[in-house]
Amino acid sequence: MKRRELFNSIAQSSRRQPTPFEIKLQVDGGIEEHTDPLTLDDVLHLYRRLSYSVSMPDAQKHVGKTARQVVTELLGPKDPPAPLRDVNFVKWRDPATGQMVEYTENPEGADLQAAFAIRSWWGTNYRRLRAWHTFEALRDPLTVERLAGFWVGHWTTEFSFDDQYSQPHTLYNQYLTFRKDRLGNFRDMALDVTLDHAMLFYLGGWLNEVGRPNENFARELLELFTTGIGWYTEGDVQQAARVLTGWKVARFNDQPAPKGIYNTWFDARKHDTGAKEFMGVTIPARTPDNNTEFQVRNEEVRELVNIIFRARPDAVSRFIAGKVYMYFVYSSAGEMDRQFVADLAKAFKDSDFDLRELFLRLFISKHFFDPALRGAQIKTPMEYVIGLLKQLRFDDTEVAPIDSAGWTEMMDQALFDPPNVAGWPGYRSWISTNTYPRRREFARKMIDTLTDARAMQLIKEMPDYEDVTKFVQNIVRYMLPLEVNETRLAYYKSTLLEGQPDYTWDEKLKQPASAARSLRALLKTIAVAPDFQLC
Amino acid sequence: MKRRSFLATTAAAAVGTQVLGGVPLKAFTPMNMPVHMQPDDDRCLIVVQLFGGNDGLNTIIPVEDPQYYSIRPTIAVPKEKAISVLSRVHMHPALAPKDSYGFPQMFEDGRLAIVQGIGYENPNLSHFRSTDIWLSGFNSSDPEVRLLDGWLGRYWSNHLPGFPEVLPPDPIAVQIGGSLSMLLQSPKGDVGIALTDPQKFFELGQGLSPDMTPMSEETRYGREFNFVRTVAEQCDRYSSVVKNSFDKGKNVATYADGNFVKQMQLVARLISGGLKSKIFLVYMGGFDTHVMQQDEYQNGLHPYLLGQLASGIGSFMQDALAQGFADRVVGMTVSEFGRRPYENGSRGTDHGAASVQFVFGNGVRAGVYGQSPDLTNFDGNGDVRYQWDYRRVYADVLENWFGGTMQETEDVLQDRVLPLGVLQRTTSVDDAYEGRFGVDVRIAPNPATSQASIEWYQPVNSVTTVEVYANDGRHVKTLLTDRLAPGPQRVEVADLTSGAYLCCVMINGVRSVAPLSIVR
Repeated sequence: MKRRELFNSIAQSSRRQPTPFEIKLQVDGGIEEHTDPLTLDDVLHLYRRLSYSVSMPDAQKHVGKTARQVVTELLGPKDPPAPLRDVNFVKWRDPATGQMVEYTENPEGADLQAAFAIRSWWGTNYRRLRAWHTFEALRDPLTVERLAGFWVGHWTTEFSFDDQYSQPHTLYNQYLTFRKDRLGNFRDMALDVTLDHAMLFYLGGWLNEVGRPNENFARELLELFTTGIGWYTEGDVQQAARVLTGWKVARFNDQPAPKGIYNTWFDARKHDTGAKEFMGVTIPARTPDNNTEFQVRNEEVRELVNIIFRARPDAVSRFIAGKVYMYFVYSSAGEMDRQFVADLAKAFKDSDFDLRELFLRLFISKHFFDPALRGAQIKTPMEYVIGLLKQLRFDDTEVAPIDSAGWTEMMDQALFDPPNVAGWPGYRSWISTNTYPRRREFARKMIDTLTDARAMQLIKEMPDYEDVTKFVQNIVRYMLPLEVNETRLAYYKSTLLEGQPDYTWDEKLKQPASAARSLRALLKTIAVAPDFQLC
Repeated sequence: MKRRSFLATTAAAAVGTQVLGGVPLKAFTPMNMPVHMQPDDDRCLIVVQLFGGNDGLNTIIPVEDPQYYSIRPTIAVPKEKAISVLSRVHMHPALAPKDSYGFPQMFEDGRLAIVQGIGYENPNLSHFRSTDIWLSGFNSSDPEVRLLDGWLGRYWSNHLPGFPEVLPPDPIAVQIGGSLSMLLQSPKGDVGIALTDPQKFFELGQGLSPDMTPMSEETRYGREFNFVRTVAEQCDRYSSVVKNSFDKGKNVATYADGNFVKQMQLVARLISGGLKSKIFLVYMGGFDTHVMQQDEYQNGLHPYLLGQLASGIGSFMQDALAQGFADRVVGMTVSEFGRRPYENGSRGTDHGAASVQFVFGNGVRAGVYGQSPDLTNFDGNGDVRYQWDYRRVYADVLENWFGGTMQETEDVLQDRVLPLGVLQRTTSVDDAYEGRFGVDVRIAPNPATSQASIEWYQPVNSVTTVEVYANDGRHVKTLLTDRLAPGPQRVEVADLTSGAYLCCVMINGVRSVAPLSIVR
């Protein structure tokens, strides 16, 4: 019987496949700690969600440890290790001095050709930035880039919006802030981002001046970044905008830059010194004497952030816990586990908004390891692309020609350039008739480039690889989120062995070219399955 | 609905206003009023989403209102720059791009309806919540209420027998670009596909069917598995359908450059090639004009976007007219809100509330619906008050364009909403034969202080419903549902608070409406 016939005969036998193993809709586990030693499947599950997948040897190192041990190790130290590589931004030739510099003249007012060259320079450096990010993400042994990447999607800043561009250098600086703050106090992160140069430019904060308020950032600070919608009045938005007046950006060499180019500075003349009434708290008026950067930053901006957290602690903790939950556990908004999220939010609030505590409590919970939630998450383009490159064990030379960020863009995730200020909508929006074909194309191309040597390495990394049945089981648990039923296993084995009996596996293993060809065929077959899109 | 009752509907809005509902235009003089005889399944709808919140006040310009010029000192469009159409409507000059079939001409030709003051109660100023409110068709500002699917998705998923196990031969909806909008989602799954380039879609989409039966829906994993599986199957199935239409179709009009214009061009080509989709969704972002929306010469981001909009729709209409499918296509714009009437300090405008909506096509009853915004009477946030509930145009689409029933509208919107009358109802020989036409509804006294009588002549023996709606189109009360014999009929209405109402008599599925004022 041909493989296809075998498959069809079973596929048609029942309208719906039975679920491969005992999982149900009901999630039993709550916020309590999962204390059982981790199995290999637990470790793979943990890495798929908290990181971008993992190689089999790295996964095996953690089997038998507790969730707390592994998660603590993966979260890493508060201060992140330095990036592995330099972004290597292309420099700009200053026409006045002939020097190579990191900034340009102002394209507004420049002639068309110069303006075009400046925009092209931004485009080039934007692509360098995102290529750098994908490389760091691929090689990160911890979760630094993964978590910083999550915050990029939360505190959104678009590279290109309307007819404007955020400068890549400022996006890079903002990203370093996310790295630094990823596990710190969420309140500090909120303050850092509020005065972040890229954010000030993106949401119009730099235009927000006394007498000419611009509410854009003030609204999003509440609606999208801290409390979520429904916890503030329109009056709060207007008052917050007044508090945030006076902060300026330094984008070009013809602009004032008291703190240096790409650094935020404070223009006291543009700050609204009147008293503000925000969420029922008065921020008193100030005199010209104390209208300084230091004082306004601490007594107004920091105070504004503090008031939000003081006046709406439940809203902030629930909003952030809910967002983290949907990103890392299950994205279906209609089915968020309200009890669990409420418990997680409480832990977050009780820790005074400590992000490490939030992530730790989530990833060591019984809830997170509950079978009902496994394989239920749709891979983001980053998870899909980086995860596959990691699983295929490509080395630096092999990944060098792959434009990972270009691929994620074709899958609707242009890194550092989300569709709008709400970030990527996520969940099922990742898979459409537009993007799904690109995902399939990517997997096919990557698997096709797998060399014989790399394929043999991959085979030998699977436990019990010499036993063909166990090898297939293990490669399936490595590539797919859940076990598959007997029918699919038989189909995959027959794909690997090209329909020949089991004992031929031995011979294949002795001929790397043949084994590699078989492995590529098997991987491509696995990549066709709908659950290859899940994690 | 007949012209007579349509005029009655809009008469309520016309009281004391200068820009009247139902400006009489060539297209709906009785002589050349087209009677639609095409089968129901030839009709399609184009939804043009303007994301960011389009500035209605700088789209249709209230040139006669000095208040407009005082609240917008730097970004107002001067009267002499606005384009005056039939001396009644003044449009932003960007709506008439050079060498194109611009909005002014479309309006004069009776192919454009302008709905003033479209919005909803308790406006939400978040882009995302308000977009969800618009696309879902549910007006709920309560963040605990999750809005998960769209009014068109719900309508069509209910109409497709066996959906989603059985997919129709042509995709019900085609979205150009992006990931599939909430508008096209339903509790049963997506009712459409997203594509950018038919050729690429064909090349990549072939053979993507996963050859796997669905999983049990009793696990989360199974549900997501099935979702991906259906998308894979849609890729495989529809990639060749779309390609066939694309190859057979053509464009005979000239299209300018620009992403949005090209989207409209693609839609025209697919329709021309025979694609039987009911909905096309096109999208333009950038309307969130907080900063530098236009300079003193009416150049800038907002004019650019309006120019794209008019150019894309204009070329599309020319194409549709030349190729003979203009009668079976209508389009509507949706944007989550308008802008704040007062300009901000950055030569821009912040988030606002009620705004302007355009409905275009041969099937529209051209005219201006509602009055120019009242710039002296804002809501609590300082925003324009709405005149029409946004779902009134949806009810038009469902009942008068797709041929749905009032009950279906109610099922989809979970509320009873009166169509605004922007679209012409399909009329057939059978309608006249079976007595499906409007009647003359009289109300006396009007204005009334407490009680009034609604009277009409019942033409046939039929189930008749008499209802009262608020002036914005939302249902207030039902006075009668009964089978009535032919002859003069009369129903009393009482217990209404002061305000403007619409009394609706529905006989045999056809509504006739008359306005009523209560002054207590």
